[in-house]
Parts: sequence; structure tokens; C-alpha cells
Amino acid sequence: MTVALRQCLLHLQDEHHTLEDYEGGVPRWCNGCGDNAILAAVQRLCRGEDLRPERTVFVSGIGCSSRFPHYMGTYGFHGIHGRAFPIAEGLKMARPDLDVFVNTGDGDCCSIGAAHWIHAVRYNMNLTVLLHDNFVYGLTKKQASPTSPKGLKSNTTPRGAFLDALNPLSVTLGVPSVSFVAQAVDWIPQVLYEIIAAAYRHRGFSFVRIIQRCPEFMPGMLDPWLQDPSKTLLLTHDNGLELAPELARIYKNHREHDPLDIDGARRLASSADELPVGILYRNPDVPCYEDLRRAGQARPVERIRGCLEAELDKVTVWPADDAGSAA
Amino acid sequence: MIMDQTAQPQRQIAFHLTGTPGGHLEPVDSSFRPALLARYRDLASLRYDFPVVLVEDPADDAYVRSLTSTVDGVLQELAPRGIEGEQVRRHVLRAEREIRSLVAQGARGMLTDLWERAAPDLPDVGARLNVDGEIADCDRELPRRLVEHAWQNVQRRKAGRFHADVNRLVQTLSDILRAAFIGSQAGRAPESLRAGFGSPHHDQFDFETMSRLLAQTAPEDELPTDRRERIEWALAVLRRQRFFEPSPGTELAQRAERPFEYRFGRCADAVDAFRARLPELVQFVKAISIAELEADGRYVASEHDAFFADFGEESLAREDLTRFPDYLVTIDRDQSAAAIELLSSGLPVKVLVETEELLDPGNFGFGVRSTQLASTAVGLIDVFALQTTSSNLYQLRDRLLAALQYPGPALLSVFCGSATPSSDLPPYLTSAAALEGRAFPAFTYDPTAGPDLPSRFSVDENPQPELDWPLAQLEYADASLQRLAEQVAFTLVDFAVCDRRYARHFARVPREHWNDNTIPVDQWLSLDRSEADARVPHILVVDEHDSLQRLIVDAKLMHAVRRCREAWHALRELGLARPPPETAPVDEPPTEAIDESAPAPAEETVADERVPDEPWIETPRCSTCNECTAINDRMFAYNDNKQAYIKDPDAGTFRELVEAAETCQVAVIHPGKPRNPNEPDLEELVERAQAFQ
Repeated sequence: MTVALRQCLLHLQDEHHTLEDYEGGVPRWCNGCGDNAILAAVQRLCRGEDLRPERTVFVSGIGCSSRFPHYMGTYGFHGIHGRAFPIAEGLKMARPDLDVFVNTGDGDCCSIGAAHWIHAVRYNMNLTVLLHDNFVYGLTKKQASPTSPKGLKSNTTPRGAFLDALNPLSVTLGVPSVSFVAQAVDWIPQVLYEIIAAAYRHRGFSFVRIIQRCPEFMPGMLDPWLQDPSKTLLLTHDNGLELAPELARIYKNHREHDPLDIDGARRLASSADELPVGILYRNPDVPCYEDLRRAGQARPVERIRGCLEAELDKVTVWPADDAGSAA
Repeated sequence: MIMDQTAQPQRQIAFHLTGTPGGHLEPVDSSFRPALLARYRDLASLRYDFPVVLVEDPADDAYVRSLTSTVDGVLQELAPRGIEGEQVRRHVLRAEREIRSLVAQGARGMLTDLWERAAPDLPDVGARLNVDGEIADCDRELPRRLVEHAWQNVQRRKAGRFHADVNRLVQTLSDILRAAFIGSQAGRAPESLRAGFGSPHHDQFDFETMSRLLAQTAPEDELPTDRRERIEWALAVLRRQRFFEPSPGTELAQRAERPFEYRFGRCADAVDAFRARLPELVQFVKAISIAELEADGRYVASEHDAFFADFGEESLAREDLTRFPDYLVTIDRDQSAAAIELLSSGLPVKVLVETEELLDPGNFGFGVRSTQLASTAVGLIDVFALQTTSSNLYQLRDRLLAALQYPGPALLSVFCGSATPSSDLPPYLTSAAALEGRAFPAFTYDPTAGPDLPSRFSVDENPQPELDWPLAQLEYADASLQRLAEQVAFTLVDFAVCDRRYARHFARVPREHWNDNTIPVDQWLSLDRSEADARVPHILVVDEHDSLQRLIVDAKLMHAVRRCREAWHALRELGLARPPPETAPVDEPPTEAIDESAPAPAEETVADERVPDEPWIETPRCSTCNECTAINDRMFAYNDNKQAYIKDPDAGTFRELVEAAETCQVAVIHPGKPRNPNEPDLEELVERAQAFQ
């Protein structure tokens, strides 16, 4: 209920936030870790959108990236391994007024949490999902994850990973009801910020895969892309990402891609030659699950209790019935 | 014979001037109807806009549907195309005709009931009508019934939004109190803990001990008293609201007080009711504003307490009133002045002005009052005004809905015909004739339609609005049964001839005396004065045997017709008012030619500001990885965007600069030249720094 009076009252209280308002604990991530860049971009987004810390929640699973909520000055839920999505969905269902973010890693999301991930895409709830993909389990000191490149020698694959890596973009784009898929890299902060902002503004399940460096366990893995900007393909469009001129001078390899073109998005996602960065797919018309399931009226505790009692009464065996049946 | 022929025109002119028939002219005593209405003797056999179904609980804006369109919908569903569906079509259409005649005879009721009466042999069709609701014909009651029905639909939707908001706030505020109670000492008392468990398990817990344990960790930030009182007050006000019927199944529905009534028959009653309810309304707006702020966690006592302490009638804005029901006042023409006063007060009111009589003897101000009303409504600026006749209400159903949904006052002026008609025409035709004859022209003034008068004001709802009088094709057979056709205008005179009280203004010219001296009314009006003096206006009518007749018209009525035409011109011109001419575009200073080959200004500035040999960082490309700040956080620091810059180049060594450049994975650190020539291993460091210059 937005009315003039309320707007006036809100103006009485001028609320502007600084980056510090969104800072929580001091990050324990390694120096050079891409998580730091993601944290900075997200804090800038919160400030830019003037999100109220008490109305913003970061939900995570387990892993390096899942320490994210600790470092935000907002509400957070450091959940259990692979279960960030159901927690975030339940939260959004109960409190649709909150801004809910999900931080998950390649192991957390694509391995133990894969079932929840697929169905979360299908539900298309209004969540902003950041998949921190560093191609390895870092918290457990270098174990191969589903996105580890084939041949990666790790503590769990001493002779090298046997399987081809899972492509999170292709998987997400293959699920019906997908509504937003983007890919970012942690080392182009401006683009990272803009993609996260676009994901936040999209109403629906916004899935952003962020390719990030792990200097501790995967040193040098991403150097070819860091040192040669032409290996990064920036996707631009009037309805997508618009490149700043100074960035366009450094990253000369860009291509027009309409975010509504899902076939084009799938081709880009599976491209092996270049690293696509930008908004691959965005469809604002996909309905959100919370809208489809929204109750027509308020559900106070008394009402819920009454309904529960009525349901339980259906299967309750009353002493009188016992007596009657015995007779 | 020759004398007789010359005497005819004079006799006709004499009647025109004096109103006294004589000679070959016959006074009009039997009832005539305009020739253009000859085909509409049996309305029951025609498929037209009426009767209509006032749809019950419509899911969308289709709150009213014509019987014809409803039946068409069923036929599309049931009757196959082509000859196979012919029999079904015939039966269903017969049922429609039967309903139409039942309604014309005064039958009332729901569509499904009437369908059962009209077509008991077609119950399957009745079950597939898809809509149901009261049937209404185009009669004296139609405007009131239709407007009230549309108004109820608008209020029902408003109530839905209102309840959704209020229920949400009540729940949120209740949750705040409940959460505070659970965390409080009282909430952790043994009795409260016991109440929170199912009775079968009471024996298995020691609530005293549990309470003691919990009390040790009880938070100290219980709800402050002033906040608790504020929330409880707002909750109480929200719960006892009487503005809408409480939504069923909620705790609000359990109270006994009846909601307010919003339908009135006098303007003064509506104003009195509004005044009497105003204090309660002010309290409610205050409560809901407080509730919104509290639910959002944005109530700041230091800012808002003073504001709400002074909250009164003058604090209300129109937007605050739009969430409450609109007042619906139904009055007749005599209360027009009071209506204008009520509308200008800005209250949330919709006024339906019913006009019963347009031809009361002695009054020749046809159409003029419409212009007055339109001008007044336009003068009120923010009042939505709609005028039409009852026959046209179905066509204007969307506009009517727009008027009722408009978040401000609205004036609905409808000609509905008299309860004791002085005409043999059915009310639908009387009403349609008033619109066609410009006696009661239609117009709308929609303040939301645009920024200026031409976009807001419209007379497009009238038949052929670009003409003085609408033209229609009249087809008839002559004495030798040859088919003839001519374009005939429908004028105010055609409307007046339907009314018995106006019979004295007409004289019949027997067919054998028809001559060129009489000309149709619309053509006569276009003559200049001298030509007009020599001719006499006539209209074409039919008698009860559908035989075509000419009636000549006296000057008194023609004078009224002229005035009516002028009023119509004035009304039309109201919507043609031109907006003020646009100001000439100011010549903008020529933009400087941009030399694309030149470097971007920002970059240039940075480059210029950069002192050669000084260390620097490409800050916008910094990815916040903490590598450099970990080396020396006095030399490297983060800016407002958490991106690194060199805070103090003298706060560290050249070695640290070079090492930072080497560890920076995005290679944005440039060490420059050594600042201290005595630093050890300088030669080697300068060589390593070369890669980053």
C-alpha cells in the first residue's frame, strides 16, 4: 500500500548506506582469492540499490564461498552442505518482502546440492544465485569437484580427474522455467558488478556463474585468460550488458547476443574456444513459484492452527469411536 | 384550381408562423413516429443491446453483457457451423426472443431463471450460459441499476485490496507482539512454556526448571513500552474498521458492528455522512501509516511522534481517500446545483444525475443544459464527467467503469425517460431518439486522458458527431410499390414529434398537397433568413399503418431547434480548444565536434594528473584480492568501491611496490621509479619493475 502519506513519512528518515554498513567479519579467504572480488561487488550492489541490511539475507551451503554470509553486515544463514537452495526457497516463501541471495560453490551446488539446484531453477523463485566456481574443493584442501577440468590431479584424483567437467551453464539452460543465466569472471570488476546488478534486478531465479581464481590450489589455471583479454568473449546487447569504452579497448573480443535467444545462449554456454562473459539468457515472463502459490489471504497463526486441527481431526481415533466399534 | 395551388404555400407559411392549422392542413391528433423509427415497432424480435445481464461476481471488467452476446457465446460453443447447427441455433434464438419479450412485459429475475421460463426444453443450454446475473431492460430503472452494479464491482475490488493490506499489517504487527512476548520474561514463565506444549506431554517436562534456565539467557531488549502501546493502538484501530465489510474467515469478521452505508439519495446526506465519519477515517489513516512504518521497521520515534501527534483532517491527501469506498449519490435533475457543489468539494463521490424530462412544455432549452453541465464539469478540472442516455449506457460500459474507478469525484448524467411517458415509444427508442436528435448529447471529460482539454473532452460517443444532425438511409415503397431510398436527417424535431404534448407544433400535409414549398428540417435550417421565410420545414413520419406522412413544423419549435443546434456546436467546440502554442525551441549552443581519434578526456586527465615516474594503480580494474594490502596496508589502501590505490608511496619501499606488482594477478600495479636512491638492490628491482611500467 504505497500512498503519498507514507512516502512523506519515509522521507522524514533519510536512509543512505555506505559500503561499511554491509561489512561483517574480516574475510578469512586467502589473499588473491576471487571470493574477495565477489564480496566487494556484492557490497557495492547493496550500497547502489540501497538495500536495507535488516531486509537482506545471504544463504549459503558449505565451502570456501559459503563463508560469504559471515562477511556481510546483513542477515545470513550458513546452512548445510548442498542445502542452500531449499533454505532460501523456504525463506522467500515465508518472507517474500526480503531480498534473498544464495552463495554456493561448484562442489556445494553441482555435486551434493545438484538435485536442489535443478529444482530451484525449475521453481524460478525470485532469488539471486551466485555460483562461486573455482573448479576445486578448497576448504577440504584440494579435492576434485564436478567442474574440475579433466586430468586435474587432486587429493581425490591423484592420477588426474577421469571425467569431463560439468558445465553449470548448460545444465541450467536445459531446465524448463529457466529465466536468467549469466557468466562473470572475478577479475573484471566492472562487468562482475553489472552482471550481479542485472541478476538482482531480474525478478526470478537469477543464476550467475562466477569463474574465480583459487591461488592456493589452482595457481595459474586461469592465467591464459588473465593475460590474454582476447580469450574472453564479452556479450553485449541493448537489453544486456553495455561495455564502457575503456573496457572495450582492453577487451576487444565482444559479440552482440540477444538475452532472449535461448538457442544462442546454449551454443555460447557450450563453447570450448572462448570464455563467454555476460548475460546469456533473460526472460522476465517466466512466472515465479511464490506468485503461483501465493495465498489469497493472510494466514495468521490461529488460522494455520485451526486448519491443522481440522486435518488432524480427520484421522483422529476418538475414545468414543473405539467404544462404539468395540460394541 | 390555380388559386388553390397558390394558396397552399401561404397556408403552410401561416401555420409555420402562427401554429394554427387551416385549409388543407390537418391538426396532428393521432400518434406518429419518425420515419426512421418505422422499422423498430417490434423490439422483441430485434437482436440489439438490450436487455443486459448484470453479471454476478465477474472475474474481469465484463460486469455487464448484452443478452445477445451471451447467447452468441453459447451458440459458438454448442451449435456446429453450417447446416448441422441450424436447428440448435433456431431453438436458442427463439428462447432469446422469448426472454426479450418477457422482460419487455416487466419480468425480472436472474438470467438462468428466465431461461428456464422461456425455454424449459433447453436446460442444457441454460446450464452452459457461463454467466448469470439480474436481467435489466432499457427502462426508467436501468441507469440506477447499472451504475449501482458497476459501482459495487469497483468497491468489491477495492475491498479485496483493502483487506489484503489490512490483514497483512494485522498479521505482521501481531507477529511483532508475539515475538516480543516469547522473548520476554512473561513468555518464559512456566505457565507460558506449559501452554506451548501439547497437554499429553506435560508430565515429561519440568517447566519450572526450564523457565529458570531460559530466564538466565532472556534478552534484555524487550519491546519498549511506547512502541508496544503504539502497535497495540494501531492493531485495535485496524481491527475495528467499519469502512468495508470484513473479509470472511478472518478475526475482523467476528465483530458485530455493521459497516458504513455509502449509497445516498441526497447530496446533503452524503456530505453529512462523510463529515460524521471523518474522525474515524483520520484515525484509520493514522493507524495504517503507523502500521506500515512499524511493519517495515522504519518508525523513528524522534521523527514520527511529532508528526502523528498533530495528525488531523488536514493531514489527509486525496490519495489517502482512494483506498476507501466511494460515495454513490443518485439524484434527479432538480438537485444539479447541489451536485456541482458536492463534486467541487473534492470528496470521493460518484454522483448519478438522472434526467427524466426533456420536453416539459414551456421549456425549449434542449441541449443547452447539457452544454452548461459539460462546461461546469470541465471547469471543475479534476472531476470525471460522463453524459449519455440510457440506450447508450451499454455501449459506454467501459467509460462508465473508468468513471467509477477514477480516483476522484465523478459526475454521471443520464437521460432515463419519464416514469409516466407521454409517448408511445418504448423507453429504449425515446432514449435513443434523444441522443440521435441532439436533445441530450453524450460526452465524456476524463481528467486522466491527457494534459489538455482536447484530449480529455470527447463527443465521439454521439452518432456522426462531425455533422449537425446524424443522417440515415430511409427506404420505402411509393404508391406504385417501387423501392425508393433517400438520406434523411434525424433532428430534434423527430424527437419532439414522438411526444403527444408537442402535437400542436405540427400539422399534417395530406399527400395530394405535397409540394416543393416544404423542405426537410435540416435543409431548412441551412437556408438564410430570407429564403427560409419563403419555405416551410417538414419531417417525414409514419402513422400507425406505417404510411409515410409529411408534417410541417411551426416557428416556435424551429426556434428551439436552432438553439439546440447552437448548443451542440458549443459542446463540440469545447473539445476543440487549442492548447497554447508551443514555445519556440531555444537554439542550443552548437556541440563541439568530437574528435574520435583523440583519447577520452577522463583518460587524458588521469594521464595528465599522473606524475611521471610515480607509482600508480589502475584502480577500476582492481579485483580486491587483498594481495597488495597484505604486503603493506599503509602504502596500498582501498577506496570507497573497495578497489586499491596508492595511498602513500613513501609509506613503504620500492621493493614492496615491485613485489606487489608481481603478485597482482590482474597486473594493475605500476611501481614507477625508485624514490629512495639508497635502497638496497635497486638495480635488480628496477629491472624487475620494467615489466610493469
